[in-house]
Amino acid sequence: MNALPRPSTIFLAAITTLVAVLLYSPLFVPIVSSFFTISHGNVDWSSPTLSTYVALAENHDILSALRTTLIVGVCTVVLSVVSGTLLALYYHSRRSGRSFLQFIIFLPFLMPPIISGLALLIFFREIHLERSLLTVVIGHTVFVLAIVYRTVLMRLQSMSRTLVEASYDLGATGWQTFWRIILPNLSSAMVGGAILAFALSFDETMITILVTGTQSTLPVRLWAMMRLGFSPDINALVALILMFTVLLCVLAARFLIPRQMATERT
Amino acid sequence: MSLLVTVLAFALPVVFVLVPLAIFLGYSFFSVDQGTIVYGLSLGNYVRFFTDPIFLPVFWNTIVLCVSVAVICILLAYPAAYFLTTLKGRWRYALLMLLLVPLLMSYVIKIYAIRSILGLNGFLNKALVALGILDQPSTLFVFNMNAILLTLSLLLIPFAILPIFLSLERIPQTLLRASDDLGASGWQTFLRITLPLSLPGVASAASFVFVLAIGDFLTPQMVGGISGFTFGRILYSQFGTAYNWPFGAALSVALAIVVICAILIGERFGRNRGTSI
Repeated sequence: MNALPRPSTIFLAAITTLVAVLLYSPLFVPIVSSFFTISHGNVDWSSPTLSTYVALAENHDILSALRTTLIVGVCTVVLSVVSGTLLALYYHSRRSGRSFLQFIIFLPFLMPPIISGLALLIFFREIHLERSLLTVVIGHTVFVLAIVYRTVLMRLQSMSRTLVEASYDLGATGWQTFWRIILPNLSSAMVGGAILAFALSFDETMITILVTGTQSTLPVRLWAMMRLGFSPDINALVALILMFTVLLCVLAARFLIPRQMATERT
Repeated sequence: MSLLVTVLAFALPVVFVLVPLAIFLGYSFFSVDQGTIVYGLSLGNYVRFFTDPIFLPVFWNTIVLCVSVAVICILLAYPAAYFLTTLKGRWRYALLMLLLVPLLMSYVIKIYAIRSILGLNGFLNKALVALGILDQPSTLFVFNMNAILLTLSLLLIPFAILPIFLSLERIPQTLLRASDDLGASGWQTFLRITLPLSLPGVASAASFVFVLAIGDFLTPQMVGGISGFTFGRILYSQFGTAYNWPFGAALSVALAIVVICAILIGERFGRNRGTSI
């Protein structure tokens, strides 16, 4: 871009700062509050404390919801990475019906989650599958599949064809080429996709509310609790979750942005 | 062998995506009689949607609300995205990341925090009273449509920043330099070159934000209160308290049609033309 006149730059910087403040204020409020006691809606700024974190460690409701969320997340990651990779390979091999298949994969991501969730709810009822963690995992997998698929496919398409040809020239079989050449080249995209899938599953609320049975994941539990108002230990939980999410973002970026590009652009 | 591979590849997506959506569509033609679902085809749900005085106005108001959310998001995101493209190298992407990270932060928690900021006892009201702008805390931002509008806008700004940034970044520097060489002022270059070439990004951004806003029912449920009824909430209530799944499915079809239109419009105007030099 051309150099801007100074007043415009100041104006643009001011708007950008405003946007950053708007985006981050809902994240900082609970974090700051987690270190202070609140009574009657007023924060007592005089005495920083870790009592909310202690209370959190004793909140069994939340801890069991956290465990459920992690179980669902891990299952979702395994299912979506395996099927997403296979589907990307299928698309890449130029077999029949591939654009239609891609369209179906993207559907749950394009449709509002409430529609995907309700469709699955009715589907599970029609095939007499009780709502349980299994239905939650299926719901999450269907939802995050598109992300993993796209991440892996993009890496596949940027992979040089010559690598595979060289492997065949050197006498490797199809399987050997797959295990020794294709899979190692895809691995960082798969890890990045897995982290994104986990992050999305960790936060998925709308589909989960609709298809969950008696066990609820963390966002659903929080959602139920919020209607009554929060106990202060939730602020501690929020602070921990936010730190955890930042960590996930950094990890995902590290795996998904090719090292080469990162150094080129600096 | 090849056929087997094809069948296997299609199995999962078809069973868990296409079939549920097809059943869902089918449900919208069923009806409910005394708490049980009648599996007979009828257009009753759609007739009810168009004739009942409740649903169409809420539907329309929700569309207006979500268009407003999209407009607010773009008004804030465009200058921010433009500012990013004026930065060099590492800073540009670091700041972009900074503005996108809130996307991955817990949605429910953000809604809750925004509610506590907007609330009667919230930080916003306290700040306005402290600054002397208001005499006493205002109920303008709690449990109504304004609250939904503000909350959704705050949540969805990052979705507007990314497409606009990408389309601004793709504008060839040579065009800007040419415009400068031909004696155009900064404003002229912006209005005649940059703005028109970035409009596809604005279209995609608007379509993203609109689609995400109209499909949401968590935010309205959480900050809308009694007066903030949106289409998503009505739809959700058909599956909960009202227990009329077929009618809920018909409402979802109406929602899906609006979403598909928004995506198609976004696609149509969102293609980058003329920037591939």
